[in-house]
Amino acid sequence: MKRSILTALVASLALSGAAAGQMKNTVLPRTADGHPDLTGTYDLAMLTPLERPNGMPAVMSDQDAARLERQVVEQNRALDKAIDGNRAAPPKGGDGSVGPAGNVGGYNNFWLDRGSQYSIVDGQRRTSIVIDPQDGRVPALTPDARQRQAARLAQFRPTSDQTESNDPGLEPAGAYDDPERRPLGERCLLGFGSTSGPPVLPNYFYNNMHQIVQTPDSVMILTEMVHDARVVRMNAKHLPPSIRRWMGDSIGSWEGDTLVVDTTNFTDKTRFRGSTPEMHVVERITRVDAKTLKYRFTIEDPATWTKPWTGEYTWPATNERIYEYACHEGNYAMGNILRGARLREKTQTNQK
Amino acid sequence: MRNLIAIGAVLTMAAAVPVVAHHAFGGEFDPNKPVLLKGKMIKLEWVNPHAWLHIEVPKSDGTQACQFTPNSKCEEWMVEGGTPNTLLRRGITKESLTVGTELVIDGYQARDHSLNRANGRNITYPDGRKLFLGSSGTGAPTDGADPTEAPKGRGRGGQ
Repeated sequence: MKRSILTALVASLALSGAAAGQMKNTVLPRTADGHPDLTGTYDLAMLTPLERPNGMPAVMSDQDAARLERQVVEQNRALDKAIDGNRAAPPKGGDGSVGPAGNVGGYNNFWLDRGSQYSIVDGQRRTSIVIDPQDGRVPALTPDARQRQAARLAQFRPTSDQTESNDPGLEPAGAYDDPERRPLGERCLLGFGSTSGPPVLPNYFYNNMHQIVQTPDSVMILTEMVHDARVVRMNAKHLPPSIRRWMGDSIGSWEGDTLVVDTTNFTDKTRFRGSTPEMHVVERITRVDAKTLKYRFTIEDPATWTKPWTGEYTWPATNERIYEYACHEGNYAMGNILRGARLREKTQTNQK
Repeated sequence: MRNLIAIGAVLTMAAAVPVVAHHAFGGEFDPNKPVLLKGKMIKLEWVNPHAWLHIEVPKSDGTQACQFTPNSKCEEWMVEGGTPNTLLRRGITKESLTVGTELVIDGYQARDHSLNRANGRNITYPDGRKLFLGSSGTGAPTDGADPTEAPKGRGRGGQ
Protein backbone atom coordinates (compact mmCIF):
# COMPACT_ATOMS: atom_id res chain seq x y z
CA MET A 1 0.00 0.00 0.00
CA LYS A 2 2.78 2.41 0.88
CA ARG A 3 4.15 2.13 -2.61
CA SER A 4 0.83 3.03 -4.18
CA ILE A 5 0.40 6.11 -2.02
CA LEU A 6 3.91 7.19 -2.88
CA THR A 7 3.24 6.72 -6.59
CA ALA A 8 0.04 8.71 -6.26
CA LEU A 9 1.91 11.49 -4.52
CA VAL A 10 4.54 11.60 -7.21
CA ALA A 11 1.89 11.64 -9.90
CA SER A 12 0.02 14.35 -8.09
CA LEU A 13 3.10 16.53 -7.64
CA ALA A 14 3.91 16.11 -11.30
CA LEU A 15 0.43 17.31 -12.22
CA SER A 16 0.02 20.10 -9.74
CA GLY A 17 2.24 23.08 -9.50
CA ALA A 18 1.92 25.62 -6.75
CA ALA A 19 -1.26 24.12 -5.35
CA ALA A 20 0.11 23.68 -1.85
CA GLY A 21 1.05 27.32 -1.60
CA GLN A 22 -2.40 28.44 -2.67
CA MET A 23 -4.09 26.48 0.07
CA LYS A 24 -2.12 27.93 2.93
CA ASN A 25 -3.56 31.39 2.37
CA THR A 26 -7.14 30.17 2.53
CA VAL A 27 -9.11 30.24 5.77
CA LEU A 28 -10.98 26.97 5.77
CA PRO A 29 -14.23 26.42 7.64
CA ARG A 30 -13.59 24.17 10.63
CA THR A 31 -15.68 22.16 13.03
CA ALA A 32 -15.60 22.69 16.81
CA ASP A 33 -12.95 19.97 17.18
CA GLY A 34 -10.65 21.83 14.82
CA HIS A 35 -10.88 19.64 11.73
CA PRO A 36 -11.82 21.04 8.34
CA ASP A 37 -15.59 21.12 7.94
CA LEU A 38 -16.47 18.97 4.94
CA THR A 39 -20.20 19.37 5.46
CA GLY A 40 -22.17 20.31 2.41
CA THR A 41 -23.95 19.22 -0.72
CA TYR A 42 -21.85 18.62 -3.81
CA ASP A 43 -22.75 18.21 -7.46
CA LEU A 44 -20.37 15.76 -9.10
CA ALA A 45 -21.71 16.10 -12.64
CA MET A 46 -18.81 16.91 -14.95
CA LEU A 47 -17.32 16.19 -18.36
CA THR A 48 -13.98 14.74 -17.24
CA PRO A 49 -14.18 10.99 -17.87
CA LEU A 50 -12.62 8.32 -15.64
CA GLU A 51 -10.05 7.41 -18.29
CA ARG A 52 -8.19 9.80 -20.54
CA PRO A 53 -9.23 9.58 -24.18
CA ASN A 54 -6.46 8.59 -26.56
CA GLY A 55 -4.30 11.44 -27.73
CA MET A 56 -5.38 13.89 -25.06
CA PRO A 57 -2.86 15.65 -22.84
CA ALA A 58 -3.37 15.24 -19.06
CA VAL A 59 -4.30 18.88 -18.73
CA MET A 60 -6.26 20.95 -21.23
CA SER A 61 -5.71 24.59 -22.04
CA ASP A 62 -8.46 26.95 -20.94
CA GLN A 63 -9.27 27.59 -24.59
CA ASP A 64 -9.63 23.91 -25.46
CA ALA A 65 -11.78 23.32 -22.41
CA ALA A 66 -13.97 26.32 -23.24
CA ARG A 67 -14.43 25.05 -26.79
CA LEU A 68 -15.41 21.56 -25.65
CA GLU A 69 -17.74 22.92 -22.99
CA ARG A 70 -19.36 25.16 -25.61
CA GLN A 71 -19.91 22.11 -27.82
CA VAL A 72 -21.84 20.46 -25.03
CA VAL A 73 -24.03 23.55 -24.57
CA GLU A 74 -24.69 23.65 -28.31
CA GLN A 75 -25.45 19.95 -28.41
CA ASN A 76 -28.00 20.39 -25.62
CA ARG A 77 -29.56 23.34 -27.43
CA ALA A 78 -29.88 21.29 -30.60
CA LEU A 79 -31.52 18.44 -28.69
CA ASP A 80 -33.93 20.87 -27.05
CA LYS A 81 -35.16 22.26 -30.37
CA ALA A 82 -38.71 21.68 -31.51
CA ILE A 83 -39.37 18.81 -33.90
CA ASP A 84 -42.24 18.08 -36.27
CA GLY A 85 -45.53 18.01 -34.39
CA ASN A 86 -47.04 15.96 -37.23
CA ARG A 87 -44.33 13.32 -37.19
CA ALA A 88 -44.98 9.65 -37.77
CA ALA A 89 -44.20 6.85 -35.35
CA PRO A 90 -40.51 5.86 -35.24
CA PRO A 91 -39.31 3.10 -37.60
CA LYS A 92 -40.32 -0.51 -37.09
CA GLY A 93 -37.36 -2.64 -36.09
CA GLY A 94 -35.93 0.09 -33.87
CA ASP A 95 -34.46 3.52 -34.42
CA GLY A 96 -30.84 2.29 -34.45
CA SER A 97 -29.99 3.96 -31.15
CA VAL A 98 -27.28 2.16 -29.23
CA GLY A 99 -26.14 1.87 -25.63
CA PRO A 100 -28.67 2.72 -22.96
CA ALA A 101 -31.18 3.97 -25.56
CA GLY A 102 -31.51 0.28 -26.51
CA ASN A 103 -32.67 0.71 -30.13
CA VAL A 104 -35.88 2.34 -28.88
CA GLY A 105 -34.53 5.86 -28.39
CA GLY A 106 -34.52 6.19 -24.59
CA TYR A 107 -36.17 9.49 -23.63
CA ASN A 108 -35.78 13.21 -24.19
CA ASN A 109 -32.61 15.06 -23.30
CA PHE A 110 -34.46 17.51 -21.05
CA TRP A 111 -34.54 14.92 -18.29
CA LEU A 112 -30.75 14.68 -18.21
CA ASP A 113 -28.07 16.57 -16.34
CA ARG A 114 -24.80 15.19 -17.58
CA GLY A 115 -22.54 18.02 -16.49
CA SER A 116 -21.13 20.81 -18.58
CA GLN A 117 -17.62 21.50 -17.30
CA TYR A 118 -14.31 19.75 -16.91
CA SER A 119 -13.03 19.11 -13.42
CA ILE A 120 -10.53 21.71 -12.28
CA VAL A 121 -7.94 20.25 -9.90
CA ASP A 122 -5.21 22.55 -8.59
CA GLY A 123 -6.18 25.05 -11.25
CA GLN A 124 -5.81 22.48 -14.02
CA ARG A 125 -8.59 21.36 -16.32
CA ARG A 126 -8.18 17.61 -16.27
CA THR A 127 -8.92 15.18 -19.08
CA SER A 128 -9.22 12.11 -16.85
CA ILE A 129 -9.99 11.23 -13.28
CA VAL A 130 -7.18 8.66 -13.31
CA ILE A 131 -3.82 10.29 -12.52
CA ASP A 132 -1.80 7.16 -11.78
CA PRO A 133 -0.86 5.43 -14.05
CA GLN A 134 0.28 8.59 -15.74
CA ASP A 135 -1.39 7.68 -19.03
CA GLY A 136 -4.70 8.29 -17.29
CA ARG A 137 -5.95 4.78 -17.95
CA VAL A 138 -7.03 2.07 -15.51
CA PRO A 139 -4.29 -0.59 -15.41
CA ALA A 140 -4.78 -3.84 -17.28
CA LEU A 141 -6.82 -6.61 -15.72
CA THR A 142 -4.83 -9.56 -14.43
CA PRO A 143 -5.28 -12.90 -16.26
CA ASP A 144 -7.25 -14.06 -13.22
CA ALA A 145 -9.62 -11.11 -13.49
CA ARG A 146 -10.13 -11.69 -17.21
CA GLN A 147 -11.00 -15.30 -16.48
CA ARG A 148 -13.52 -14.26 -13.81
CA GLN A 149 -15.03 -11.79 -16.21
CA ALA A 150 -15.43 -14.45 -18.90
CA ALA A 151 -17.01 -16.83 -16.39
CA ARG A 152 -19.43 -14.12 -15.30
CA LEU A 153 -20.41 -13.32 -18.85
CA ALA A 154 -21.05 -17.00 -19.41
CA GLN A 155 -23.46 -16.95 -16.47
CA PHE A 156 -25.05 -13.64 -17.45
CA ARG A 157 -25.11 -12.21 -13.99
CA PRO A 158 -24.65 -8.48 -14.35
CA THR A 159 -24.06 -6.57 -11.13
CA SER A 160 -23.56 -3.00 -10.02
CA ASP A 161 -20.93 -2.00 -12.51
CA GLN A 162 -22.48 -3.75 -15.45
CA THR A 163 -25.68 -1.90 -16.02
CA GLU A 164 -26.71 -3.39 -19.29
CA SER A 165 -25.53 -4.78 -22.54
CA ASN A 166 -24.34 -2.33 -25.15
CA ASP A 167 -26.19 -4.42 -27.64
CA PRO A 168 -29.05 -2.26 -28.86
CA GLY A 169 -31.46 -5.13 -28.52
CA LEU A 170 -31.63 -7.73 -25.85
CA GLU A 171 -29.04 -9.10 -23.52
CA PRO A 172 -28.22 -12.78 -23.94
CA ALA A 173 -30.73 -15.38 -22.84
CA GLY A 174 -30.62 -15.92 -19.11
CA ALA A 175 -30.08 -12.26 -18.26
CA TYR A 176 -33.80 -11.86 -17.56
CA ASP A 177 -34.37 -15.15 -15.77
CA ASP A 178 -35.01 -13.66 -12.35
CA PRO A 179 -34.83 -10.28 -10.59
CA GLU A 180 -31.53 -11.24 -8.96
CA ARG A 181 -29.90 -11.38 -12.36
CA ARG A 182 -30.75 -7.78 -13.11
CA PRO A 183 -28.20 -5.05 -12.30
CA LEU A 184 -28.34 -3.54 -8.83
CA GLY A 185 -29.25 -0.13 -10.28
CA GLU A 186 -32.21 -1.55 -12.14
CA ARG A 187 -33.29 -3.25 -8.91
CA CYS A 188 -33.13 0.06 -7.06
CA LEU A 189 -30.50 -1.30 -4.65
CA LEU A 190 -27.43 0.80 -5.47
CA GLY A 191 -26.68 3.50 -7.99
CA PHE A 192 -25.19 2.63 -11.34
CA GLY A 193 -21.67 3.39 -12.49
CA SER A 194 -20.26 3.43 -8.92
CA THR A 195 -22.23 6.52 -7.87
CA SER A 196 -22.16 5.41 -4.24
CA GLY A 197 -18.74 3.85 -4.47
CA PRO A 198 -16.27 3.65 -3.07
CA PRO A 199 -14.75 4.99 -5.19
CA VAL A 200 -17.44 7.62 -5.72
CA LEU A 201 -17.73 8.45 -9.40
CA PRO A 202 -20.07 10.61 -11.46
CA ASN A 203 -22.46 8.68 -13.71
CA TYR A 204 -22.44 11.22 -16.58
CA PHE A 205 -26.22 11.03 -16.71
CA TYR A 206 -28.12 12.66 -13.84
CA ASN A 207 -28.63 12.96 -10.06
CA ASN A 208 -24.95 13.31 -9.21
CA MET A 209 -25.64 14.97 -5.87
CA HIS A 210 -23.81 13.93 -2.72
CA GLN A 211 -24.08 15.23 0.79
CA ILE A 212 -21.54 15.01 3.59
CA VAL A 213 -22.60 15.17 7.21
CA GLN A 214 -19.78 15.24 9.73
CA THR A 215 -19.52 14.63 13.46
CA PRO A 216 -16.41 13.86 15.53
CA ASP A 217 -17.35 10.16 15.53
CA SER A 218 -18.59 9.59 12.02
CA VAL A 219 -18.80 11.07 8.58
CA MET A 220 -21.74 10.20 6.37
CA ILE A 221 -21.62 10.38 2.61
CA LEU A 222 -25.13 10.37 1.15
CA THR A 223 -25.55 9.57 -2.52
CA GLU A 224 -28.76 10.83 -4.09
CA MET A 225 -29.06 7.94 -6.48
CA VAL A 226 -29.90 5.35 -5.24
CA HIS A 227 -30.37 6.77 -1.73
CA ASP A 228 -27.16 5.22 -0.40
CA ALA A 229 -25.74 6.45 2.91
CA ARG A 230 -22.20 5.32 3.69
CA VAL A 231 -21.22 5.92 7.31
CA VAL A 232 -17.50 6.27 7.89
CA ARG A 233 -16.61 5.34 11.48
CA MET A 234 -13.85 7.65 12.70
CA ASN A 235 -10.77 6.24 14.41
CA ALA A 236 -12.29 2.79 14.45
CA LYS A 237 -10.98 -0.64 13.52
CA HIS A 238 -12.26 -2.59 10.54
CA LEU A 239 -14.98 -5.14 11.10
CA PRO A 240 -13.88 -8.78 11.12
CA PRO A 241 -13.49 -10.22 7.60
CA SER A 242 -16.62 -12.32 8.09
CA ILE A 243 -18.78 -9.19 8.01
CA ARG A 244 -19.23 -7.91 4.47
CA ARG A 245 -21.06 -4.82 3.29
CA TRP A 246 -22.42 -3.70 -0.07
CA MET A 247 -20.37 -0.50 0.01
CA GLY A 248 -17.62 -2.04 2.12
CA ASP A 249 -16.63 -1.16 5.67
CA SER A 250 -15.31 2.40 5.83
CA ILE A 251 -13.18 3.74 8.68
CA GLY A 252 -11.77 7.25 8.82
CA SER A 253 -8.93 9.22 10.31
CA TRP A 254 -7.42 12.65 9.90
CA GLU A 255 -4.01 13.12 8.35
CA GLY A 256 -3.47 16.79 9.01
CA ASP A 257 -6.35 18.49 7.23
CA THR A 258 -7.19 15.52 5.03
CA LEU A 259 -9.89 12.99 5.85
CA VAL A 260 -8.57 9.54 4.97
CA VAL A 261 -11.22 6.87 4.49
CA ASP A 262 -10.10 3.27 4.33
CA THR A 263 -12.57 0.75 2.95
CA THR A 264 -12.40 -3.05 2.87
CA ASN A 265 -14.86 -5.94 3.48
CA PHE A 266 -16.74 -5.67 0.18
CA THR A 267 -19.20 -8.35 -0.89
CA ASP A 268 -19.29 -10.47 -4.01
CA LYS A 269 -22.63 -8.86 -4.88
CA THR A 270 -21.08 -5.55 -5.80
CA ARG A 271 -18.14 -5.34 -8.08
CA PHE A 272 -16.26 -2.30 -9.28
CA ARG A 273 -15.00 -2.91 -12.81
CA GLY A 274 -14.55 -6.59 -12.06
CA SER A 275 -12.97 -6.24 -8.60
CA THR A 276 -13.04 -8.93 -5.91
CA PRO A 277 -14.45 -8.58 -2.38
CA GLU A 278 -10.81 -8.06 -1.29
CA MET A 279 -10.62 -4.67 -2.99
CA HIS A 280 -9.04 -2.01 -0.80
CA VAL A 281 -9.98 1.62 -1.42
CA VAL A 282 -8.33 4.58 0.28
CA GLU A 283 -10.11 7.90 -0.25
CA ARG A 284 -8.59 11.23 0.67
CA ILE A 285 -10.95 14.15 1.00
CA THR A 286 -9.49 17.63 1.41
CA ARG A 287 -11.23 20.96 1.58
CA VAL A 288 -9.56 23.21 -0.98
CA ASP A 289 -11.67 26.30 -0.38
CA ALA A 290 -15.06 27.25 1.00
CA LYS A 291 -16.81 25.80 -2.06
CA THR A 292 -14.60 22.92 -3.16
CA LEU A 293 -13.41 19.55 -1.95
CA LYS A 294 -10.66 17.55 -3.57
CA TYR A 295 -11.50 13.86 -3.75
CA ARG A 296 -8.73 11.35 -4.37
CA PHE A 297 -8.88 7.58 -4.27
CA THR A 298 -6.36 4.78 -4.59
CA ILE A 299 -7.54 1.29 -5.40
CA GLU A 300 -5.69 -1.90 -4.72
CA ASP A 301 -6.87 -5.36 -5.65
CA PRO A 302 -3.96 -7.54 -6.82
CA ALA A 303 -6.35 -10.23 -8.04
CA THR A 304 -7.94 -7.74 -10.43
CA TRP A 305 -5.43 -5.11 -11.56
CA THR A 306 -1.78 -5.51 -12.35
CA LYS A 307 -0.99 -2.55 -10.08
CA PRO A 308 -2.78 -0.10 -7.77
CA TRP A 309 -4.25 2.97 -9.39
CA THR A 310 -5.29 6.44 -8.31
CA GLY A 311 -7.82 8.99 -9.46
CA GLU A 312 -8.80 12.46 -8.33
CA TYR A 313 -11.31 15.18 -9.12
CA THR A 314 -13.01 18.03 -7.34
CA TRP A 315 -16.41 18.08 -5.68
CA PRO A 316 -17.90 21.54 -6.21
CA ALA A 317 -20.42 22.61 -3.55
CA THR A 318 -23.90 23.44 -4.74
CA ASN A 319 -26.88 25.28 -3.34
CA GLU A 320 -29.16 22.79 -5.05
CA ARG A 321 -31.10 20.33 -2.98
CA ILE A 322 -30.92 16.58 -2.88
CA TYR A 323 -34.29 14.96 -3.41
CA GLU A 324 -35.40 11.61 -2.22
CA TYR A 325 -34.74 9.05 -4.91
CA ALA A 326 -37.53 6.72 -3.87
CA CYS A 327 -36.64 4.23 -6.54
CA HIS A 328 -39.01 1.47 -5.45
CA GLU A 329 -41.89 3.93 -5.52
CA GLY A 330 -42.51 3.53 -9.21
CA ASN A 331 -40.09 1.03 -10.65
CA TYR A 332 -42.46 -0.16 -13.37
CA ALA A 333 -39.46 -0.89 -15.58
CA MET A 334 -38.47 -3.96 -13.59
CA GLY A 335 -41.89 -5.56 -14.04
CA ASN A 336 -42.05 -4.58 -17.69
CA ILE A 337 -38.66 -6.14 -18.37
CA LEU A 338 -39.35 -9.44 -16.59
CA ARG A 339 -42.90 -9.72 -17.97
CA GLY A 340 -41.63 -9.10 -21.49
CA ALA A 341 -39.11 -11.92 -21.05
CA ARG A 342 -41.76 -14.36 -19.80
CA LEU A 343 -43.97 -13.59 -22.79
CA ARG A 344 -41.06 -14.13 -25.17
CA GLU A 345 -40.43 -17.53 -23.60
CA LYS A 346 -44.10 -18.43 -23.93
CA THR A 347 -44.17 -17.46 -27.58
CA GLN A 348 -40.99 -19.41 -28.26
CA THR A 349 -42.39 -22.50 -26.50
CA ASN A 350 -45.63 -22.31 -28.49
CA GLN A 351 -43.67 -22.10 -31.73
CA LYS A 352 -41.81 -25.33 -30.99
CA MET B 1 -0.57 20.25 -36.90
CA ARG B 2 -1.43 21.46 -33.45
CA ASN B 3 -4.91 22.35 -34.64
CA LEU B 4 -5.32 18.93 -36.16
CA ILE B 5 -4.41 17.27 -32.89
CA ALA B 6 -6.78 19.56 -31.03
CA ILE B 7 -9.66 18.78 -33.37
CA GLY B 8 -8.95 15.07 -33.16
CA ALA B 9 -8.85 15.32 -29.39
CA VAL B 10 -12.15 17.17 -29.31
CA LEU B 11 -13.86 14.47 -31.34
CA THR B 12 -12.35 11.67 -29.26
CA MET B 13 -13.34 13.44 -26.07
CA ALA B 14 -16.92 13.95 -27.18
CA ALA B 15 -17.23 10.27 -27.99
CA ALA B 16 -15.45 9.02 -24.91
CA VAL B 17 -17.76 10.15 -22.13
CA PRO B 18 -19.46 6.98 -20.97
CA VAL B 19 -23.19 6.96 -20.68
CA VAL B 20 -25.13 4.55 -18.56
CA ALA B 21 -28.79 4.46 -17.72
CA HIS B 22 -30.91 3.27 -14.90
CA HIS B 23 -32.28 0.27 -16.70
CA ALA B 24 -32.34 -1.69 -19.92
CA PHE B 25 -34.59 0.11 -22.39
CA GLY B 26 -33.96 -2.64 -24.91
CA GLY B 27 -35.35 -5.21 -22.49
CA GLU B 28 -38.40 -3.18 -21.59
CA PHE B 29 -39.63 -1.91 -24.96
CA ASP B 30 -40.17 -3.64 -28.28
CA PRO B 31 -38.35 -2.16 -31.29
CA ASN B 32 -40.95 -3.84 -33.52
CA LYS B 33 -43.89 -2.00 -31.94
CA PRO B 34 -43.43 1.71 -32.71
CA VAL B 35 -46.24 3.95 -31.51
CA LEU B 36 -47.36 7.51 -32.07
CA LEU B 37 -49.70 8.71 -29.36
CA LYS B 38 -51.76 11.90 -29.51
CA GLY B 39 -53.93 12.76 -26.58
CA LYS B 40 -54.40 14.75 -23.40
CA MET B 41 -52.62 14.12 -20.16
CA ILE B 42 -54.87 12.69 -17.46
CA LYS B 43 -52.32 11.92 -14.76
CA LEU B 44 -48.65 12.48 -14.01
CA GLU B 45 -46.74 10.09 -11.77
CA TRP B 46 -43.85 12.26 -10.61
CA VAL B 47 -41.96 9.32 -9.14
CA ASN B 48 -38.53 7.74 -9.21
CA PRO B 49 -36.76 6.11 -10.87
CA HIS B 50 -38.79 7.40 -13.81
CA ALA B 51 -41.72 9.75 -14.20
CA TRP B 52 -44.74 8.28 -15.99
CA LEU B 53 -47.22 10.39 -17.93
CA HIS B 54 -50.70 8.97 -18.43
CA ILE B 55 -52.54 10.17 -21.51
CA GLU B 56 -55.88 9.32 -23.02
CA VAL B 57 -55.88 8.61 -26.73
CA PRO B 58 -59.29 8.87 -28.47
CA LYS B 59 -60.11 5.55 -30.10
CA SER B 60 -63.43 4.26 -31.48
CA ASP B 61 -63.09 0.95 -29.61
CA GLY B 62 -61.51 2.56 -26.54
CA THR B 63 -62.18 0.92 -23.21
CA GLN B 64 -63.07 4.00 -21.20
CA ALA B 65 -64.95 7.27 -21.60
CA CYS B 66 -62.65 10.15 -22.46
CA GLN B 67 -62.26 12.80 -19.80
CA PHE B 68 -61.47 15.59 -22.22
CA THR B 69 -63.32 14.60 -25.42
CA PRO B 70 -67.08 14.48 -24.73
CA ASN B 71 -69.04 11.39 -25.82
CA SER B 72 -65.94 9.58 -27.03
CA LYS B 73 -64.06 6.47 -26.08
CA CYS B 74 -60.41 6.59 -25.13
CA GLU B 75 -57.54 4.27 -24.48
CA GLU B 76 -55.18 5.07 -21.59
CA TRP B 77 -51.44 4.94 -22.20
CA MET B 78 -48.54 5.25 -19.76
CA VAL B 79 -45.39 6.90 -21.05
CA GLU B 80 -42.00 6.60 -19.37
CA GLY B 81 -39.81 9.67 -18.92
CA GLY B 82 -36.68 10.36 -16.86
CA THR B 83 -36.03 11.08 -13.21
CA PRO B 84 -38.06 13.98 -11.83
CA ASN B 85 -35.22 15.04 -9.51
CA THR B 86 -33.29 16.76 -12.30
CA LEU B 87 -36.34 18.75 -13.34
CA LEU B 88 -37.21 19.62 -9.73
CA ARG B 89 -33.82 21.26 -9.39
CA ARG B 90 -34.67 23.42 -12.39
CA GLY B 91 -37.87 24.49 -10.74
CA ILE B 92 -40.17 22.21 -12.72
CA THR B 93 -42.67 20.41 -10.52
CA LYS B 94 -45.59 18.11 -11.01
CA GLU B 95 -47.76 21.22 -11.09
CA SER B 96 -45.81 22.63 -14.04
CA LEU B 97 -47.71 20.34 -16.36
CA THR B 98 -51.46 20.51 -16.04
CA VAL B 99 -53.88 17.68 -16.61
CA GLY B 100 -55.60 18.20 -19.95
CA THR B 101 -52.44 19.36 -21.73
CA GLU B 102 -52.38 18.00 -25.27
CA LEU B 103 -49.28 15.97 -26.07
CA VAL B 104 -47.73 14.15 -29.00
CA ILE B 105 -45.51 11.23 -28.03
CA ASP B 106 -43.52 8.83 -30.11
CA GLY B 107 -41.82 5.74 -28.77
CA TYR B 108 -42.03 1.98 -28.60
CA GLN B 109 -44.55 -0.16 -26.77
CA ALA B 110 -43.60 -2.39 -23.84
CA ARG B 111 -42.62 -5.91 -24.87
CA ASP B 112 -45.76 -7.11 -23.13
CA HIS B 113 -48.23 -5.90 -25.76
CA SER B 114 -51.17 -6.31 -23.42
CA LEU B 115 -49.84 -3.24 -21.61
CA ASN B 116 -50.46 0.22 -23.02
CA ARG B 117 -47.05 1.43 -21.98
CA ALA B 118 -44.35 3.08 -24.06
CA ASN B 119 -41.13 5.00 -23.67
CA GLY B 120 -41.36 8.74 -24.24
CA ARG B 121 -38.75 8.83 -27.00
CA ASN B 122 -40.05 12.29 -27.84
CA ILE B 123 -42.63 14.09 -25.75
CA THR B 124 -43.82 17.32 -27.38
CA TYR B 125 -46.72 19.70 -27.58
CA PRO B 126 -48.80 19.42 -30.81
CA ASP B 127 -46.60 22.02 -32.52
CA GLY B 128 -43.48 19.96 -31.89
CA ARG B 129 -41.95 21.99 -29.06
CA LYS B 130 -40.34 19.77 -26.46
CA LEU B 131 -42.13 19.40 -23.17
CA PHE B 132 -41.02 21.80 -20.41
CA LEU B 133 -38.77 23.63 -22.88
CA GLY B 134 -41.12 24.82 -25.56
CA SER B 135 -43.44 27.13 -23.75
CA SER B 136 -43.14 30.32 -21.72
CA GLY B 137 -44.20 29.92 -18.15
CA THR B 138 -43.55 26.23 -17.80
CA GLY B 139 -40.86 26.85 -15.26
CA ALA B 140 -38.30 25.52 -17.69
CA PRO B 141 -34.70 26.66 -17.32
CA THR B 142 -34.51 30.25 -18.42
CA ASP B 143 -31.68 31.89 -20.26
CA GLY B 144 -33.08 35.40 -19.99
CA ALA B 145 -33.97 35.48 -23.67
CA ASP B 146 -37.68 35.69 -22.96
CA PRO B 147 -38.60 38.52 -20.56
CA THR B 148 -42.16 37.22 -20.35
CA GLU B 149 -41.04 33.95 -18.84
CA ALA B 150 -42.47 33.26 -15.42
CA PRO B 151 -40.08 33.13 -12.48
CA LYS B 152 -38.41 29.77 -11.97
CA GLY B 153 -40.71 27.20 -10.53
CA ARG B 154 -43.89 29.22 -10.84
CA GLY B 155 -45.04 28.03 -14.24
CA ARG B 156 -48.55 27.04 -15.10
CA GLY B 157 -47.46 24.46 -17.65
CA GLY B 158 -49.08 23.28 -20.79
CA GLN B 159 -49.82 25.50 -23.73
